[in-house]
Amino acid sequence: MRRIPLQVYDFVGSLRAMAHFWLKIEELSKSIPIRAIVDTGSPITLIGPLDTGRMRISTLSLRNLEGRNKPVNIGGGEMTTRILEGTKFKFGDGFEVDMPVDFPIDGARNPLQPSLLGVDFLLKTNATLVFNPDKKDAYLEIED
Amino acid sequence: MEQAQELSLLKDFERDSRWFHENINKLREKGFTGKFVAIKNSKPLTSGENFEIVIKNIEKKGKNPSFVFIEFVHPEGYTLIL
Repeated sequence: MRRIPLQVYDFVGSLRAMAHFWLKIEELSKSIPIRAIVDTGSPITLIGPLDTGRMRISTLSLRNLEGRNKPVNIGGGEMTTRILEGTKFKFGDGFEVDMPVDFPIDGARNPLQPSLLGVDFLLKTNATLVFNPDKKDAYLEIED
Repeated sequence: MEQAQELSLLKDFERDSRWFHENINKLREKGFTGKFVAIKNSKPLTSGENFEIVIKNIEKKGKNPSFVFIEFVHPEGYTLIL
């Protein structure tokens, strides 16, 4: 059993469990550290506009990448995301996982939308989220 | 990029993320509310209301924005429901 520590911070009105990891996008030959909120209410893992902005990737570039579009509704706003294959997550302890990731490209894009680690990540890695906001303790347990 | 360099950059990024979240109220007191703030080495590197300008300022300071922690300082009491 592998345990990936998460951080618990007060962020925009609530305590949140947050993960920090490398995201590698093969098609763009880009690699970037990401802070993502672990969100069990989100079915998808999503990279927010601030992170794509740090990578200097425009919406136009994302639209032109190999992938497929999907309509999603986040926080009441409908948007279209581009799902990119060939993306890799790498955590500080060396744990790696290949998984498609959603990038918002159209619709009600909230420019401040944080990146999210969604239920798809928990399913892909067979992970259990342990989150105790009172003790500010959180981690992922992943079966090897 | 070598694995050791990746690990080092990720640790720096995590440290700056922690500093941001633990010092959000100090940042508000210092007038950063409503601005994007770039944090490097546990202190603000640059800030502004326009994200693109913040990115350009980071580059002007010789840093790669990809590896710099940037977040928006929301007003106190603002709640984001995901």
